[in-house]
Amino acid sequence: MTGRSSMSYYCFTFFIALMYLFLYVPIIVLVLFSFNDSTFPYIWKGFTLRWYSELWHSHEVWNAISNSLIVAFSSVVLSITMGILAVLYGSRNRLAQLLVLFYGTLAIPEIVVAVGLLSFFSFFSIPFGLTTLIAAHTLLGLGYVVPLIYGRYRELDYALTEASMDLGATRAQTFYRIIIPLLAPALLASALLVFVISLDDFIISFFCSGASTQTLPMYIFSMIRSGTTPVVNALSTGLLVVSSFLVLLFSSLNIKKVDMLP
Amino acid sequence: MRSIRLEHIKKVFDGETIIDNLSLTIPSGKFFALLGPSGSGKTTLLRLIAGLEIPEQGKIFLGNQDITHMPVNERRINTVFQNYALFPHMNVFDNVAYAMKLKKVPKDIIEQKVIKMLKIVHLDKHIYKSIRQLSGGQQQRVALARAIINEPDVLLLDEPLAALDLKLRERMLLELIELQDTLKTTFVYVTHDQFEALTVADYMAIMNYDGEIEQVGTPKEIYEFPVSSFVAQFVGTTNIIKGIIQVNDTEALLNIEGLQSFSVVIPKDKEWQGREIMMSIRPEKIEISKQPLTGFSNHLQGTVKSIVYHGRSTQYNVRLKNDFLLQVFEQNEEHFPQEVIDYDDVVNLYWQKENVVLLER
Amino acid sequence: MRAETGFRSIFKQELPFFWATPAFVWQVLFLYIPLFLVLIYSILGNAGLSEYLTLEHYTALLDPMYAAILLRSFMLANVNALLCTLLAFPVAYYLAFFVTRFKNHLIFFLILPFWISFMVQIYAWFFVLEKHGLINSLLLNLGIISQPIHLLNTPFAIYLVMIYCYVPFAVMPIYSTLEKFDKRLLEASADLGATPWQTFLRVTLPLSALGIRTGFFLVLVPSFGEFVIPTLLGGGKQLYVGSLISHYFLLARNFNLGASFTCVSGIVLIISGISWYLLFRWAFNLSRRAQ
Repeated sequence: MTGRSSMSYYCFTFFIALMYLFLYVPIIVLVLFSFNDSTFPYIWKGFTLRWYSELWHSHEVWNAISNSLIVAFSSVVLSITMGILAVLYGSRNRLAQLLVLFYGTLAIPEIVVAVGLLSFFSFFSIPFGLTTLIAAHTLLGLGYVVPLIYGRYRELDYALTEASMDLGATRAQTFYRIIIPLLAPALLASALLVFVISLDDFIISFFCSGASTQTLPMYIFSMIRSGTTPVVNALSTGLLVVSSFLVLLFSSLNIKKVDMLP
Repeated sequence: MRSIRLEHIKKVFDGETIIDNLSLTIPSGKFFALLGPSGSGKTTLLRLIAGLEIPEQGKIFLGNQDITHMPVNERRINTVFQNYALFPHMNVFDNVAYAMKLKKVPKDIIEQKVIKMLKIVHLDKHIYKSIRQLSGGQQQRVALARAIINEPDVLLLDEPLAALDLKLRERMLLELIELQDTLKTTFVYVTHDQFEALTVADYMAIMNYDGEIEQVGTPKEIYEFPVSSFVAQFVGTTNIIKGIIQVNDTEALLNIEGLQSFSVVIPKDKEWQGREIMMSIRPEKIEISKQPLTGFSNHLQGTVKSIVYHGRSTQYNVRLKNDFLLQVFEQNEEHFPQEVIDYDDVVNLYWQKENVVLLER
Repeated sequence: MRAETGFRSIFKQELPFFWATPAFVWQVLFLYIPLFLVLIYSILGNAGLSEYLTLEHYTALLDPMYAAILLRSFMLANVNALLCTLLAFPVAYYLAFFVTRFKNHLIFFLILPFWISFMVQIYAWFFVLEKHGLINSLLLNLGIISQPIHLLNTPFAIYLVMIYCYVPFAVMPIYSTLEKFDKRLLEASADLGATPWQTFLRVTLPLSALGIRTGFFLVLVPSFGEFVIPTLLGGGKQLYVGSLISHYFLLARNFNLGASFTCVSGIVLIISGISWYLLFRWAFNLSRRAQ
């Protein structure tokens, strides 16, 4: 396009290919070794599915999975509901300037947010567990939902709202018939986003879950710490598949993908 | 059908007064055009009528009903928006049926009415298409259908043809005239294009840059008898020359310094002697000829400085004795005209005193 | 906006904005008040005397150990941000300018590793870096080395995995900016006689500056507080900001010192952030004047 010579083009392509390789080699190795028939995970001994079977039968793992899922679903529901209400009812009046508050979550390093939450819960003697986790993940979710929905809302042609009212619709009717349907892709996308983020979150979960509750990433962390078996590989592969599927769903939605910074 | 009456309207945006003390009556059942340059406030005026804006002062009446503070969705007034504002997630049918669906009109009646309306706007072959599949002209017609189907008292059109190309625009203008004729609904058409306004309007108003209405009248009245230099120059082109009136026993003259005196017609009502007045003479009313002609009340000479060929007509810019460039339009009536006018030719210019408009401002 | 004014006057009466408040309350309650609480903790006197404000938790930080930790994280964050941005730019550029057919697929595969849990990504690198892992096995088999190299628990491992995890953060904003780039500007530049390199320096680079800056900060800020990667891949011998904070809050249960250290780290981060911001601005102006 800019008249690059083929030599530099091929070099460039080679470099990019290397980058992609860099990104995927560890993952591919991880997945491969989840089928490794050996307790010592780093040496290949043969193909097996026994780690997956062990995974399937592990109470600890299922406990972690259920915790992660409960927290994820709850956070999605809460953050989407509150988020869309905030955008619809708070963006065309005095509250609009305060919408900046929601950008704070992403602007602050996660560990600071985590520490804040820990202090908060300790100070008010709130017992740690699923509730505190859900509260924390909902906060995370809001930080994505509001900017996303608000951005999409602002892009909506204002004339559409005017046309709707001009044709006789009340504000409520305009909401349900025009605004919500047009926001639907963004809503779905942010729901997926929050779900994946909640599922994958470690730092905030680490600080806010207390001694007894464990999410999937926390489980993996403790396994890495204490000594690994390929069960962790199997678990990671499972998590990978689920995440990939969700990202695929997310990518297929008709919204400007690149503005979606996880 | 009811008329619209605006009384002493004042509208302020961000501290800036866009419209001040504006009063206007739009007669019912007519095709009314609101013409003005960009930024004149004409769209604001339209939105005030629609109910999308509320005036700071003044009243708006629909017939005898004060609708100044009536919410937009209650007014029996519908708008065709400039960029159509069609609902992208609905197809043609649903867009047009929107207002009826809101009122929970039975489905079979909706279907009947929508299809009939789409036939009127020549879209019956595209009923279930998605909006994105339509061309600009087709989208415009959907917007039109969507607004008219509710049989509003007034239809507002905000520069609806701005996004279309010339040929399409010309065709749509004729279709709009036909439509208004059939429906007999009051159309209020806002535009900055004087050709559009002159074409469609039964009645029109000109707004100036300060949000004031300069003149209201039929297109012919406005074109032939403008009340100000703004109107004379905004609608069509004209030559404006300033001079001093001199009244004798037999005639009235406009003396132009450095040039000559012209014979003019003055109305008998006011005192004109010695006043500084502008005269407006439209280019098409000036006769240009190398050979001398007779029978005209005004004559002067000049040198041709530019010639622009416009197909139907040729435009000459002629430099006069006082360096003023006079624009002259000559219709190209013949393939091979007897007289060919060229650059730097000295030409005779003629016009009748009745074809001049005297302007005080 | 003109329409806003008109609508606002109609809607002020109608809009019950209390529907919007739960979100705001949540945000303030769980983000801003906690942060304020951290601030309070940092100046709170010990033994639960809530009226007793003190600066002792800050003075305790004057020990050079803390400075070393801050410096280490500072280095990590800045180097990581620089490297990630440098690596991200070519990738973004390639995707924006050289790819047409499989663009969406390539972007998808670029985003994907990013969506996989952090933990999984880190664990994956264990495999590659471990004594019996991929790299060592490969090098041993190829005969390049005779004994496995110690790759884990080194700064090298930390930086490598940091880059791995954070490069996508930098790519997306740069790509976003480059994608929106009007390619005709490049054509115009070439038409006026510029070589590809000149076009790049004078047109592409300045116009993508904003995206580059966003990408840089998207890496810088989180990297500073990162503690998982240094802990797991660095052997935990050397402390970073994140690991120290986690130590104080979770192990030592010393909220006061943890809070004060958090605040100080925050200030260091803000200062470096502002410095970089100004640096970017200066560089941008410089390139402008050089035109």
